Amino acid sequence: MEDQAPRWARAGWALRVSSLLLPLFLALPLVSLVLRLDPRAWLEHVASPVALRAFVLTLETTAVATVLSAALGLPLAWLLARHRFRGSDVVDTLVALPVTIPPVVVGVALLMAFGRQGLVGRAFDLLGIHVAFTSVAVVMAQMTIASPFFVRAARAGFEAVDPALEHAALTLGASPWRVFWTVSVPLARPALFAGLVLCWARALSEFGATMMFAGNFPGRTQTLSLAVMSAMESDLDTAVAVASLSLLLGLAALLVARGAARRWWVAGG
Amino acid sequence: MRPTAWAVLSLALLSGPAKSAAARTEAKPTTIRVFAAASLQEAFRAIGARFEAAHPGTRLEFNFAGSQVLRTQIEQGAEADLFASADTEHVAALTRAGLADPPQIFAHNRLVVVTPANNKRVRRLTDLGRPRVRIVMAGPAVPAGRYADQALAALGRDPAFGAALEAAVRGNVVSLESNVRAVLAKVQLGEADAGFVYETDARAAGGRVRVIALPPRAEVRTTCAATVLRAARARPEALAFLHSLLGPEARLLLRGLAFRP
Repeated sequence: MEDQAPRWARAGWALRVSSLLLPLFLALPLVSLVLRLDPRAWLEHVASPVALRAFVLTLETTAVATVLSAALGLPLAWLLARHRFRGSDVVDTLVALPVTIPPVVVGVALLMAFGRQGLVGRAFDLLGIHVAFTSVAVVMAQMTIASPFFVRAARAGFEAVDPALEHAALTLGASPWRVFWTVSVPLARPALFAGLVLCWARALSEFGATMMFAGNFPGRTQTLSLAVMSAMESDLDTAVAVASLSLLLGLAALLVARGAARRWWVAGG
Repeated sequence: MRPTAWAVLSLALLSGPAKSAAARTEAKPTTIRVFAAASLQEAFRAIGARFEAAHPGTRLEFNFAGSQVLRTQIEQGAEADLFASADTEHVAALTRAGLADPPQIFAHNRLVVVTPANNKRVRRLTDLGRPRVRIVMAGPAVPAGRYADQALAALGRDPAFGAALEAAVRGNVVSLESNVRAVLAKVQLGEADAGFVYETDARAAGGRVRVIALPPRAEVRTTCAATVLRAARARPEALAFLHSLLGPEARLLLRGLAFRP
């Protein structure tokens, strides 16, 4: 026993040192980005019309995309968690696919579907509805890329809810609709919230599909990531300032998620 | 190490030098890394193929993108031997920064408006200002975007077109792309009703787009410039390629693709 403890400690040191390598590798670029900032110039760049418009547009579009993803994803996640049905594997794969294919490809696919010459877009065009290159297209691109993250998390959350509890509520006479809202959803709340944050964060970082399907126009379709790319082509300082805004939002998402998780784990015991 | 391993190793070492002298000229060609504007793809591929045929042992490697993207990449340390821009400004900026030789002008181009071949919304230049017309152009840092901006300003000053129409056209712009080929792609797809591209891009798109020329007063003559970078690893070869770019054979090829002398 006495002999084992120091040996274990030595192994612990090796483990500890090697486990620091990845965090260092991950932190270095972010730290460099922050160090590149000049505080006075930062304010000026962040308050520039391009940065402000991109910031506001990003908040608006990601909020709508997250709410819509949650509204449409919630029943689907429950269905996938609770029922096996014909084609449930197909639906499951479809929902996971946008995670595994490059966002640019998703953008091209969105154009093929909703573009003016697209499968559905052609009919829209006759009705005078144009989706591509509008803020609506930004939301659609974000939803396509980000909603799978919500569905995955929510599904896992519902799967962790004890079916006996739902069953008990049903036998007590509650309608399935009521059981869903008063038993399943509250019990899955931490996972649902985590899914929301993940979905929002992924929508925030959306770039490829937006670029393809929504184009790049300040105030209309230029989100923060697109603004960084555009600024990078002419003005590094603005690019770094806008990038730092994006970084702050990502950080906020993480902190909110962590704070909520801590509160719920404690409350839930 | 086992004796057989030693034998193999010494054999390899002995045969090494004699073999590599021949290999250097044959198996391992010198690579010229060419960073060229998106609009120069066809031209540089064609000129490059001739150059490679005339210079055995030299190979060209292309990186095509918006000139401003290439300039940023070079400023940030990308390894390139030759830079060809769709304007003189991005080359001159590198020259001023001490990163490149002075710009050499090798071709001119002209800005035009293209529409999808079957488009009914835009038939004449003045249609660009009609409501619900969707126009795509390159961004303000992209040479094609700056030229388009110049053309629009010139149209605004033209009494036949007017400032009000210019404003309407600018209001119809739905996307600022990062290179001229992205503009062309969106017009070819039919997603945009019109776009500002180079005459040579319109030629490259063949029958899929219809060209509307700008009136003489708004005509923008563009300038393509190239330079060899100070940090070039294959400097002599890059200079040779630049030389051939300025030569009569390249000029003929460029003219065939609708570039202007």
